[in-house]
Amino acid sequence: MEFNDIEEEEFGFSRNYFLAKELRGSGKKSARKLSEINLVDEQELREAYANIEPKHEKEINDLLNSYKSSYSEWVFVLRCGFGLLMYGFGSKKALMEDFASTALTDYSVVVINGYLQSVNLKQVAVTLAELLWDQLKTQRKSTLENLPKNQQPFHTRSMDDLISFLDGPHLEDDECFVCVLVNNIDGPGLRDSETQQYLARLAACSHIRMVASIDHVNAPLLWDKKMVHTQFNWYWYHVPTYAPYKVEGMFFPLILAHTGSAQTVKTASIVLQSLTPNAQSVFKVLADHQLAHPNEEGMPFNNLYTICRERFLVSSQITLNAHLTEFKDHELVKTRRNSDGEDCLYIPLATEALEKLVQEISQ
Amino acid sequence: MDAAPDAPSSLPIPTAENDLQPFFVLHKASPPRKSAAKARRRIDLSPKTCDSSTEQNDDSLRLETFNSLWSKTESIIKDVLKNLNANVFDEIDKWVHVSFNAIRACRKLDCFSATSPYPILNSASIAAAGASRQIFTGLLFTKNMEFVDDTLTFADLGVHLRSNGCYVANLTSLDFSAKSGVGGCLKTLLRQFLMVGIDAPDMSILASWYTEQENYESPLVVIIDDVERCCASVLADFIIMLREWVVKIPLVLILGVATDVDALRNILCSNVCSYLSVREFALGTPAERMDAVIESVLLRSESFSIGKQVSTFLRNCFLRHDGTLTLFIRALKIAMVQHTYGETLSFTLTKIVDEEGSKGFDGENILLRDIVLKRALNLPSLQRFCQPSARLVDWASGLSELKRLRTLWSSTVMCLYEAGKYQKISLLDLYCELLEHDQRYSGASDHTQLAKDKIVSSHNNHFHGCLQKEGYVIRAFQIVRDLTAVKLCKLLNRWELLTRGIKEIHEKVKELQALMKSEENRPKRDLKEASKKPTARNLINEKTAKTTANEKVATFLQCMVRQYIQPIESIPYNEIIFFNNVDKLQTALIGDPRRRIQADLLESHKFVRCSCCSKNSGVPIPSMHDTSIMYSLAQEHGDLINLHEWFHSFKSIVSLPPLQAKRRARASPSPKKRKNSNEPQNRNDAKIQAAFCRAVTELQITGLLRMPSKRRPDYVQRVAFGL
Repeated sequence: MEFNDIEEEEFGFSRNYFLAKELRGSGKKSARKLSEINLVDEQELREAYANIEPKHEKEINDLLNSYKSSYSEWVFVLRCGFGLLMYGFGSKKALMEDFASTALTDYSVVVINGYLQSVNLKQVAVTLAELLWDQLKTQRKSTLENLPKNQQPFHTRSMDDLISFLDGPHLEDDECFVCVLVNNIDGPGLRDSETQQYLARLAACSHIRMVASIDHVNAPLLWDKKMVHTQFNWYWYHVPTYAPYKVEGMFFPLILAHTGSAQTVKTASIVLQSLTPNAQSVFKVLADHQLAHPNEEGMPFNNLYTICRERFLVSSQITLNAHLTEFKDHELVKTRRNSDGEDCLYIPLATEALEKLVQEISQ
Repeated sequence: MDAAPDAPSSLPIPTAENDLQPFFVLHKASPPRKSAAKARRRIDLSPKTCDSSTEQNDDSLRLETFNSLWSKTESIIKDVLKNLNANVFDEIDKWVHVSFNAIRACRKLDCFSATSPYPILNSASIAAAGASRQIFTGLLFTKNMEFVDDTLTFADLGVHLRSNGCYVANLTSLDFSAKSGVGGCLKTLLRQFLMVGIDAPDMSILASWYTEQENYESPLVVIIDDVERCCASVLADFIIMLREWVVKIPLVLILGVATDVDALRNILCSNVCSYLSVREFALGTPAERMDAVIESVLLRSESFSIGKQVSTFLRNCFLRHDGTLTLFIRALKIAMVQHTYGETLSFTLTKIVDEEGSKGFDGENILLRDIVLKRALNLPSLQRFCQPSARLVDWASGLSELKRLRTLWSSTVMCLYEAGKYQKISLLDLYCELLEHDQRYSGASDHTQLAKDKIVSSHNNHFHGCLQKEGYVIRAFQIVRDLTAVKLCKLLNRWELLTRGIKEIHEKVKELQALMKSEENRPKRDLKEASKKPTARNLINEKTAKTTANEKVATFLQCMVRQYIQPIESIPYNEIIFFNNVDKLQTALIGDPRRRIQADLLESHKFVRCSCCSKNSGVPIPSMHDTSIMYSLAQEHGDLINLHEWFHSFKSIVSLPPLQAKRRARASPSPKKRKNSNEPQNRNDAKIQAAFCRAVTELQITGLLRMPSKRRPDYVQRVAFGL
């Protein structure tokens, strides 16, 4: 019975996939452009983005509050030696931090923000070791002599040493642990396999418990069976919150702000307008050439120099180079090689966008 | 520190500063509460009247129960696995010492370099002494692609060899990564042998360590547990390096191999392979291990066990999905957590084992007893099967009855398994089938009896025909019928061992054994006569004698199954021992983010529980969560979504007044008409565009969308198709 279900399911999945593929091929293929949308000003968009009215605020609050009754179970599971893995749609940052500060007060808690671009795990491990050290000191004042007195400071130790300290048998009572709260363990700062291996090794330490959240549907692909079963030892909890991914989405470009050529033209014209009139004219020479010869690779440097000299725009190659460097820094101009092996300068914009740009700077 | 206990009352206000820190300390442990909790733990079994601490009291009791259950189970599992491997480990140990002696024998010839403090071989001496040297290498076939099951095995092997006077370093494929190169694995190696971290690893350090100390007398063993996953070039370099030193450092390699002997040839070039002198060893199969674990954990131990749905689910996981014993063990642990947390009476489990539970709670805790009895009254199994008046009295006898029935049940399973072993029936299959037991075995055996009477000659055919339908138990019966006298005797001897201490079964087994002996004696006489005067009649006699003996044993087995294999749900108090909440276990064990996250979006009203959205099943309406609307709309597209269209269909839904929404929800993606007043329209546009942007970003975070590429700037790509 069940086997058939699984097969049916898999069949359904592949059928959906091919249907979707087909829909692209045969269906009404629209070539509607994103730029056709009457886009509002980027600043206005960002302002609106920051002030989106929440929908169902009350219900979502109720949902979040309903998880509070599970806190004691979560702590129990943690104390039993599992790691908690929270998943489901919506930001779980607030939920997890609330959980930590209400139910995990007996333990030190370190929060790692995996949604950031880079996280230095070595520093995290040092902090964890220091916290554990403090905890051990306060817990066994009477038997303090068991701990080595003059030890190397943690920040000079290697990752392996830190991990073996965190994993060490300092107390028979397993209850002494530091909690690591990882927001978005599948986030960009933690996504590479080396970091995941280190996280797994940290999670496997006897004095560490991990509470983590994932948002990506394919997050489990980050881990092999050893990591899942023996190191992270996940206990899954499905906790959709429908809370907006405010911080998590901070580093994602707004789709209606950056991709449209309108925006590129706008930024380009702002840059150009800040430059000297001569520099603008040099750019215009290049743009005119590109518009006149849309199929060419670009304009060879010498040609540009000759024309610019003729028009008294530059006096020497050095000045031209200075302008070009400025353009290249703002990605207004790029170079590529033509069939003769000459380096050619071109503006990385589509013809229509370029026309618009020329129009704008000519005003 | 004082502030920490106050913190719970208010939600943490996430400061923007902390949000942008890669990591930060949320709070430190609060010591005073900790000590209070400890004090409570110590007295938690004493009578309590204070209600406020009941919860905490419960928690520590639960934790205590869990810890005692799990530590027992864990040690049982460890012992079982160790015992399974004991023979191989001993064999390996012998081989290591033989190899060591062989190396030492060669080494003595080369007296000068061996005793010099920093023996560094020059090329001449390598040529002289080491050219023909090979590294003794043990290939340990794991017969298992899932190396996670074997990490414990290799750790155990390390412990075993260490206890027999070897120095052992356990390396994994992670140490042989291309990134850290041969220096990386050498570093780990030195770390494990010398017990200190060394920044500039070099083999000479190891050599000097080995000659300096009294280490001199012991072999060095390097275990690499999954050699097929190592980076080939690093492994080759490592082997070449070891070979250069093999005269100085008597090092023996043990490599875990999942496939077969060709594996090495596939990773290493023939030149490097020729440096290895290979000896092969093999571990047991995963299925064997699984059976051994089930036997010791679920059948022989008397505490926690799992019900039929859970065991069927785990069997499916093992056979069809995950395939690892590790998952099974982890599932047991999770089940134990859920059982101790969810079942108030679970704490009696620890007492059942200690023979205390059956005595009741005399003298220990009167209040606890009240709670227990109150809860016990609510057990469904008790409500179904006991008279209300008898309930209170029944507690002690009920538990001992439960224990007795379970022992009988387990022994019957073990007897069946013992018989099934002759045809390699696995305990896992048998166990699951017996748990699923309805009334069919009693019926089925009668049915086969009837069938047998009718058509004795086609008996076998009949059985093979029924095999799939009737399953493993019936097969076990048939095996018993078909056994030769010698094997039958062996089987009875095994049964006799298994059922010691269980009066009901043991005596009958003894009787059967006696019967077999007398039968054995009789045919012998027959045989003597037969040798003198071989007649067809004698042969027939012999045959019938055999079949009657077999038939008796088979009938006995059938009786046992009929009598003792009864549905677990029918035994009062079964909830205390058997955990059977398969859904809860499954969600905790195997999260399903791919399906669940999509379901969250497509069926958001189920979770948000608002009054407005739930009426419109599946049709997007403006009041829904923006991302939900967007994802529902995305379902109508192919694998590519035109952003322009998507935006307009989103806009048309969001800007509909709620009443019209239902009617026009599936309206074609047409741009909305312009309104006259430009200013509010613009603000509205900004709002919608912002909502659109956020929904796209959120879908991107969940991984359900791929962003526009340079080639297709106006399209996003769908990633998931169907739940």
